[in-house]
Amino acid sequence: MSDKQIQWSVGVLGTLGVATVILLHWMVFFWVPTESSMGIVQRIFYIHVPAWWIAFLGFGLVGLCSAVYLWLGDERLDRAAVAGAEAGMVFTTIGLLTGPLWGRVAWGTWWEWEPRLTLALILWFIYLGYFLVRRSTANPEQGKRFAAVIGIIGVLDIPLIHVSVTWLRSLHPQAVILSAENPMNLESSMGVTIGVGLLAFSLVFASLFLARYAVAGYERELDLRDATLAGT
Amino acid sequence: MRTYVTLVWAVTRKDLLVEFRTYERLTAMGAFAVLVGVLFNFSIDTAVVRPQDIAAALIWMTIIFGGMLGMGRTFRLEEEDGALAGILQSPIPLHALYLGKVLGNFILLSVMATLVFFVFGLFFSLSFSGNPVILVAIVGLGVLGFVSLTTLFSAMATRSSMGESLLPVLVFPLLVPVLVYGATATQRLFAGRPVVEVGGNLRMLAAFAIIFTVAGAGLFRFVIEE
Repeated sequence: MSDKQIQWSVGVLGTLGVATVILLHWMVFFWVPTESSMGIVQRIFYIHVPAWWIAFLGFGLVGLCSAVYLWLGDERLDRAAVAGAEAGMVFTTIGLLTGPLWGRVAWGTWWEWEPRLTLALILWFIYLGYFLVRRSTANPEQGKRFAAVIGIIGVLDIPLIHVSVTWLRSLHPQAVILSAENPMNLESSMGVTIGVGLLAFSLVFASLFLARYAVAGYERELDLRDATLAGT
Repeated sequence: MRTYVTLVWAVTRKDLLVEFRTYERLTAMGAFAVLVGVLFNFSIDTAVVRPQDIAAALIWMTIIFGGMLGMGRTFRLEEEDGALAGILQSPIPLHALYLGKVLGNFILLSVMATLVFFVFGLFFSLSFSGNPVILVAIVGLGVLGFVSLTTLFSAMATRSSMGESLLPVLVFPLLVPVLVYGATATQRLFAGRPVVEVGGNLRMLAAFAIIFTVAGAGLFRFVIEE
């Protein structure tokens, strides 16, 4: 994609994303019915659940792009990995902030060492390590390789962390949307709201991803110019 | 195959020789373990908590924190004296170099872990009536999983501007499974629970150790090459 096309796509996706996020909030507050057992606080799920799906999408993207980057050495894959990581971190933070807000009402406590919440926190710290490593090397190429290694190790470790913390203790409401025993047992308006949430966050993610991808390209150009100037 | 093992052992032997001539890392880790045992003893109010109940958890935290001290210096010697360039030019495959370093670290940390168990057993009057072979397997696999990750990341930390301070930030989040399965299994064994209860822990620790030793061997070249 050329720079112009990227800028245009970021603008279109961003505008659509913001519009859908506004629509989502209208649906959450005024349209969707209140869930009978959990009450009004359950409405936060329409933000929380899609945010998590996107956060995991971001992390999957980091793992995949990192692995292929180390294999092929194509600069664009590293740019995609860092864009996925930064956009993913935004949604991980949204998930981590909205979870305890719900937990305060439903569990009576802000924080609980519950498996998915624990996994979320650990995921956030893995992302943090990913960014720290990138910035802590004198040679940017080395930083990219280090970060890619963390991306791969992180993705390999996530299932193990998930299994271990689930084994230790479990309190989280069970997944009802993609549950195998009872598929799609939500009220249809609730399903629609979750779907709109997913669409809204996907659009925002895509625009953030593309914007960051383009910025990473400019950063590389600047690095190359600096290197050329230093050499002359 | 035999040549490969010889190469791996050459790296391990070199690291152990250097260590056993200076005792630099072992002294730091050993002193840390003993002092932490002493400090933990003063930090527990025995009128409220029985030290035996939390000893296994403290033992694992001490192994991890103390291990960080030693593991962070895995590549320091090579980096300081420019010896790394020499090793990289030698005909040894990089995965063999990694496995040699892992084996060396595994031996050093196992020595430290034994000391930790001994010291905590003494300070907290622990009695162990369970199966010692299972305990050794739990600690051995936990330590192997730990060193497989820390060896890879210490190469990264040594070469970064943040140095050793980067290592805990990178490794601690990834070590959660080792801590969960290692510490709970040790607590159960100390509490005299049947061996069957820790079978799952053993399998998970083995899976962790295998996955990250193999992944580390594969990814090491991206960390060590210029």
